[in-house]
Amino acid sequence: MKIKHFSLVLIAFILVLGCSSKEKAEKPKIAVVVSTLNNPWFVMLAESAAENARKLGYEAKIFDSQNNPAVESDNFENLISSGYDAILLNPTDSDGSISSILKAKTAGIPVFCMDREVNVDDAATSQILSDNYSGCVAIGIEFVKELKEKGKYVEILGLVGDNNTWARSKGFHSVVDNFPNLKMVAQQSGNFDRTKAMEVLETIMQANPDIDAVFCGNDAMAMGAFQALQASGKEYKVKIFGFDGAGDVVEKIREKKIVATGMQFPKVMAKTAAQYADEYFKGRKVFPQRVPVEVELINASNIKDY
Amino acid sequence: MKKKYIYILAFLIIAILGYNSVYFKKLSDIKKVKKESFDFKAFADSIYYKGILKSKKTIALTDLIASIRANQEAAFKKHGNRLGIGNSAYFMIKSTGKIIDIKDGIYTIADKKNGVVFIDTKYIFGNDLRDASGLVKLTDFKTNAQFNKVSESLNEIVRNEIIPKETKNVKLGDSISFSGAIKLNKKQTLFTDLLIIPSQIKLQ
Repeated sequence: MKIKHFSLVLIAFILVLGCSSKEKAEKPKIAVVVSTLNNPWFVMLAESAAENARKLGYEAKIFDSQNNPAVESDNFENLISSGYDAILLNPTDSDGSISSILKAKTAGIPVFCMDREVNVDDAATSQILSDNYSGCVAIGIEFVKELKEKGKYVEILGLVGDNNTWARSKGFHSVVDNFPNLKMVAQQSGNFDRTKAMEVLETIMQANPDIDAVFCGNDAMAMGAFQALQASGKEYKVKIFGFDGAGDVVEKIREKKIVATGMQFPKVMAKTAAQYADEYFKGRKVFPQRVPVEVELINASNIKDY
Repeated sequence: MKKKYIYILAFLIIAILGYNSVYFKKLSDIKKVKKESFDFKAFADSIYYKGILKSKKTIALTDLIASIRANQEAAFKKHGNRLGIGNSAYFMIKSTGKIIDIKDGIYTIADKKNGVVFIDTKYIFGNDLRDASGLVKLTDFKTNAQFNKVSESLNEIVRNEIIPKETKNVKLGDSISFSGAIKLNKKQTLFTDLLIIPSQIKLQ
């Protein structure tokens, strides 16, 4: 009997020791859940987040949500059950991603949003976001000045379920709508996708061949718009404006083929998110809910600095 | 037979009570009411008249430049406002000068102490005034969209009401005092060609 009791105590002791030594041996795991890996900008964001997490001494793995909240939800289910300790999230949808974040929160896993905002301020631990609105106000002012306050234009939006799409659009329109001689002849979604934007603009130009400018919600779509305009021989007549600060668009600004873009800093957002996760593991529990990251206007006057 | 009528009557009572105790509304209508319940115009009015005009945070442009030259980090921290991460910050400044040019809403001012500065009375947009004032915190609003709406309302007041009224009788050669927001970058070493988004312009 005594031997049996002693054995039980010994087993329990070994189990406790085993658990604590496992905790010490295993690095905390950080999941980087990104809306899509089909766009180089998001690839950079995800890889930079994972790289920063690894530099801080954590295991990091990237999960692709394929721009689909259902896939994102599956990713969350998997990584919660796989014992991930923190999530660096680039959400697919400002409303649709909330339930996944709340699941992680219930499981005690902090979620740090990168680049895209969700529509509640008590789900994510913190949200590190580009100041899209201010960036597009600056683009709007540049747009009005370039067009000398008159002309017809097209707006190609990003994903309609994404807050960034509307923050950019609202920033732009907060300026442009004050100039009645600037007429928006079409506003359509290009899903932040180059090919889709090209097709959208080609279709729009069939009904509106005399447009003067195109404002695109990101640079991939600005490149798509440029392709559509080039194909119709209008690339020097129609002024293109983008947003992101992508390398190919910066080059096009240098060549005077695109007028302006807003430079975002995905590496800064990724680094900040990874640092916040690190601080969380080290005991910090209070974070600012939203951290805007400055966006800089790039145009012909300051292109030499980029 | 009698029982049947009692059941029918009971069913009707429950159905009527149920029908009248539950009603459906479109989710978009409810969201709209919630969004519109905050009076941004009144809030911006109060920020402008009770906050910006009476603010002790407004610093003379000369003092700000001297302060930045002496210790940039300390000056940005004490006088500037940067929400989140970035190299620039907004400052609320005041100064005086003579109007030497007016073109497309831009007033070129020969500032007695700071050289030539520009006041943009046309493109009063964005978050310059809101952020330079330092009076509105990001945490005061649940979303960035609401937070940005404060700027839109504040800009509308200044752009459409205040500045047109104050510049109605202002002409080339006049001496004015002015206050407003400027954005300065930490990489910036020169303080020439400063662009001011005005909050107030007064004839001297």
